[in-house]
Amino acid sequence: MFFRFSSALVLVVLVSLAGTALEKRNLELKRIVSRQQYRLEILLERHGANRVLAQQLGAPSRLIDELDAEPATAEKPATLQKADRPAAKKRAAGRAR
Amino acid sequence: MPKPPSSGGPTPSNFFQRDRLVAALMLIVFLSLAGRLIQLDITSGDDFERLATRQRIVREVVPARPGDIVDRQGRVFATSVCVRSVYVVPRQIRDGWQLASQLAQALGLDADRIFETIASHPGRHFLWIKRRITDDEAERVRALKLSADICGFRDEFRRRYPQGALAAQVIGLRDIDGRGQGGIEQSFDEMLRGRDGSRELLQDARRRVIEVRDDTEAPPRHGKTIVLTLDAVIQVYAERALDGVVARWKPQSACAIVLDPKSGDILALASRPTFDPNHAESARAESWKNRPIADMYEPGSTFKPFVVAWGMASGCIHPDEVFDCENGEYLMGRRLLHDHHRYGRLSVADILIKSSNIGMAKIGQRMGNGRLYQAALAFGFGGPTGVELPGELPGRVRPLKQWTTYSTGSVPMGQEIAATPLQIIAAYGALANGGTLMTPRLVVREASESGSIGATIVSPVVDSRIADWVRKNALAAVVTRGTGKKAAISGYEIFGKTGTAQKLDPQTGQYSRNLHVSSFVCGGPVDHPRVLVMISVDEPSVSLNGEHFGGSVAAPAAGELLRRALVRLKVPADESLLRSALLPDDFTEEFLE
Repeated sequence: MFFRFSSALVLVVLVSLAGTALEKRNLELKRIVSRQQYRLEILLERHGANRVLAQQLGAPSRLIDELDAEPATAEKPATLQKADRPAAKKRAAGRAR
Repeated sequence: MPKPPSSGGPTPSNFFQRDRLVAALMLIVFLSLAGRLIQLDITSGDDFERLATRQRIVREVVPARPGDIVDRQGRVFATSVCVRSVYVVPRQIRDGWQLASQLAQALGLDADRIFETIASHPGRHFLWIKRRITDDEAERVRALKLSADICGFRDEFRRRYPQGALAAQVIGLRDIDGRGQGGIEQSFDEMLRGRDGSRELLQDARRRVIEVRDDTEAPPRHGKTIVLTLDAVIQVYAERALDGVVARWKPQSACAIVLDPKSGDILALASRPTFDPNHAESARAESWKNRPIADMYEPGSTFKPFVVAWGMASGCIHPDEVFDCENGEYLMGRRLLHDHHRYGRLSVADILIKSSNIGMAKIGQRMGNGRLYQAALAFGFGGPTGVELPGELPGRVRPLKQWTTYSTGSVPMGQEIAATPLQIIAAYGALANGGTLMTPRLVVREASESGSIGATIVSPVVDSRIADWVRKNALAAVVTRGTGKKAAISGYEIFGKTGTAQKLDPQTGQYSRNLHVSSFVCGGPVDHPRVLVMISVDEPSVSLNGEHFGGSVAAPAAGELLRRALVRLKVPADESLLRSALLPDDFTEEFLE
């Protein structure tokens, strides 16, 4: 009789202990998830701020002069120098002879 | 014999009586309490339940992140960053002055003003102190370690414009409450704003959050990203072109438009004066105006090609015809018309090339008011273009019954009707697009979806052969030997048309000799136009440079802007034109020996 009673008591205690442990673990996981969500929000905020900064630094209005300095196919080249002209080359060759 | 003294203890009957009395009292108390409980439960149960729930559970708004606005290459024109705003709960504040002085020190505000604000709203549960504070200010407020009952932060989104003043009037801005004001921010406010969400938080007695309840969470619907047809690089070119025009001609205002005639995509849309939406508080009132859609004036000579095209389409004039331009003076009814130069007989093409008013008046006489009216409507004048911007003016084409014989001479030279710069360039789009008018559009699509937001309306106006003839035979020659020579660029054969419209003098009500709107529309390459450019300058200062004609004021800047746009879009240059550009100015046959 005593054995049965104590067994039942131990079983109840064990079940309640297991329940408590599960509840604790559940809360712990919830805290971890909350913390990760908070970190994610912080990182998204930083990403947003950095994106704004990157766009400001890379704005065409800042970089346009460098872009224009690159050679473009349709740019009008500088006028030929006198020495490069065909007639001038011919005369120079004649003088050399 | 005396009675024996009683023992003094309770008799059994007394004991039972007291016992019953106590029991009865206890029963009464129990019944009273039970009755009260039942009464509270029935009469005020719901109220107490609500009170308890309110103390334990709070519903927090999760703000939706407004969508971005980007150009066709993904460069960000407008985005949002999360910032803190400080509030107080005046109802809970005991020492208002101390709190005010602490917050004033942390936020750089006036302590007296904060105290006055708090004191004037003693019963309120919520009062903003400062919105959209910096991270440093937030840190200083946190360091004060104020009770959560009296002071706290709320997250809000602050709109940022990384490109600064670029296309400011097109983008618009969002006010402190997140409502779109002007431009795309206003047109697509609902789509950009999204919808706030909410979640329930479980609090302990000290109002510390112990759990975020997942089952009651309504996630926010963030705003959608809007992709514009603008190209930020071409936009910079347009803005710089306008800066150059403004610096030289000191006008009241100016605007520039770059358009892809095939698709109707607006590649750049710029106005002067302008403002930086990041510092909108310092913007001048006139800088808010989006001039390409909100400035309305008589188009002047830029209207002439549409009359010629419609005249040819209706069979009233023939391309080979020659008109007598009366050596610069022509009496039309009781009205004496003048040309800037004395022209004799001019072909239809030359009338456009020389921009002869008398030649156009004679074409107008041939067509009659009815066909002139049809021409204006067919090319989209008199109604808004339908571009996705708020505040677009429809222009003005008076009802035909109000037209007089005076109109027959005025309308062909671009008077008596009013148009916005966007209407004018959209109409030129028809001439550059085989006679088909396209709705100019500014928004490509949502970033998350394919397809177009705005419907592009395509209207055939004139036959493609007529449009090509006007473009290749008349408008191209305007740039090579006509009024638009200053727009010529190396490597590309382009077409264009100058416009110099007189403005009405507000004092006399007559056309002014000093107030003009000078404009130039051009496009290229002539054979297969890829880009159209228009620059319009309102009231250029004649006294500075002695000129006011569109060919001098707007054409050089428009030509240069067109060249830059063509290079940017990698439109191949004509090799033969480039070779001729390589030759020196003093080139003679001697060089070919």
